[in-house]
Amino acid sequence: MQDNPNRDDLQALVGDLAAIASPLQAYLEELHSRYHPLRDGAVADYIPELAKANPDWFGICIVTVEGQVFKVGDYTQEFTIQSASKPFVYGRALEDHGRDFVLSKVGVEPSGDAFNSIVLDELSNRPYNPMVNAGAIATAGLIQGDNPADRMNRLLEMFRRYTGREIRLDVSVFVSERTTGDRNRAIAYLMRNFGMLAGNLEESLDLYFQQCSLLVNCHDLGVMAATLANNGINPITGERAVAAEYVQDMLSVMYTCGMYDFSGEWAYRVGLPAKSGVGGGIIAVAPNRLGIGVFSPLLDPRGNSVRGVQVCTEISQHFGLHVFHNNADDSRLRAALTGRM
Amino acid sequence: MAKIISIHSFRGGTGKSNIAANITTLLAAAGQRVAVIDTDIQSPGIHNLFNLEGEAITYALNDYLWGRCSIRQAATDVTARLETPVAGQIFLIPSSVKSGEIARILREGCDARVLTAGLRKAISELELDTLVIDTHPGLNEETMLSIAVSHALLIIMRPDRQDYEGTGVTVEVAGALNVPRMALLVNKVPTSFDPDEVRERVTQTFNCEVAAVLPHSDEMMLLASAGIFVQRYPDHPVTAALKQVVATLMV
Repeated sequence: MQDNPNRDDLQALVGDLAAIASPLQAYLEELHSRYHPLRDGAVADYIPELAKANPDWFGICIVTVEGQVFKVGDYTQEFTIQSASKPFVYGRALEDHGRDFVLSKVGVEPSGDAFNSIVLDELSNRPYNPMVNAGAIATAGLIQGDNPADRMNRLLEMFRRYTGREIRLDVSVFVSERTTGDRNRAIAYLMRNFGMLAGNLEESLDLYFQQCSLLVNCHDLGVMAATLANNGINPITGERAVAAEYVQDMLSVMYTCGMYDFSGEWAYRVGLPAKSGVGGGIIAVAPNRLGIGVFSPLLDPRGNSVRGVQVCTEISQHFGLHVFHNNADDSRLRAALTGRM
Repeated sequence: MAKIISIHSFRGGTGKSNIAANITTLLAAAGQRVAVIDTDIQSPGIHNLFNLEGEAITYALNDYLWGRCSIRQAATDVTARLETPVAGQIFLIPSSVKSGEIARILREGCDARVLTAGLRKAISELELDTLVIDTHPGLNEETMLSIAVSHALLIIMRPDRQDYEGTGVTVEVAGALNVPRMALLVNKVPTSFDPDEVRERVTQTFNCEVAAVLPHSDEMMLLASAGIFVQRYPDHPVTAALKQVVATLMV
């Protein structure tokens, strides 16, 4: 390709404006105004920092694998990523150790239990999957590095590749999570008892609490989801965030386990690999097409964002994004991406 | 489905607002519900053509952009202000002429998403057949956005070198934005020029349809910005040419 900065700048601006003028942007605005009045659910309140979240916050962001961005609402508002970090850290562990070793430490079986359940697979003593807390703590324990700071920096560097910007830690959330994290600590001790958590237990827990306390916004979630949809390459920066061979592993566990004990119904209704966090974020991936990020801190009793679940359901159904939908026809999505108003 | 037409020129003084007002009036005369929106926020003026004083404006586009009112509230029905009644209806969404409010736009810029949402709401809430956008000269974000949302773009130019160069830039940008329909209007052509030659040369230069070549018109200059030309001079050749422009854009 010819190197022409004048042309590149024009194309970048044209791309932004075409997205704003598109029917998909109009659709998202309509969706946003329709669900904004929905006040069901409650913000997480197990630590004071999360209880401070404004129930009005609501953002939606769609990023295509071509790098077009469509966003509405509070898409710049930062919040802690919480459990939405889990698939990404799992991907890093796979890169560090390979599939077989990671599989020997953490299963890939949906547990059907709540996210914080203290239960291990009785035959193997493994946590059921990397999306429940037990599995995520074990996964954090697999991240390589010379010392805790090195391990954390490797994760920060990874999230920079996924989001395209420097990601920071919310220190007060981290301290609160660590102070009130007795249940997660109990899970870690149980796993160590069975010999499933090697290394320094407190360091693994700290890394887990830190990964949950990273500050992202809804736009970041959209880009991260689109990176997975784009087989591991960030469609905005063009940088590879994760080895292509592990993307399918990440998407598989997201599909079967990503929405906690709502995962089965989610797979049935929405049909997209996804992960939620108690900060109010949800990422959903339509492979080879687009990524969806939704942020709204009002949660249902299972810990999933109420508006987020509704929005993902509608988007998936409206554009036929369910992975088992007859995907031959994506004319509706194409028209929404390329049409005017 | 409603149509959006942007009227643009790369440089000021081409008669852009005047032509926008006349095209709007011709569409309303044909029975359409039309709104004309002044996105020339930095140097507004089209309200004068509809005999709406700057002072008489309650809510302007600025107020909508700042969340002070709905786009519906920023629209004034100016149909009754026309010299001759029309079958359709004309709404005007003016920009503020208050220096402080222009300054605020210059300092803060304008949110492209909010502006686009406003255009969409104007179309649905006013039940429009056509939305005409009177853009800011040159290229800024509002102008490019206007071109991006438009189904048709009319670029006004005069036959001088600076306009030729600038028009080339607009044509290139409009091409990148995939405007479905684009046409040029050469305005204020000195009477000593051969209009066919001008048309030929402009068509060749930009590889773009020329909808009209309008001679420098004393009548239009005298009328200045005090009324709508096509109503005052219904049988003038310029009026006939503007009707042809409307037909070209509405294809």
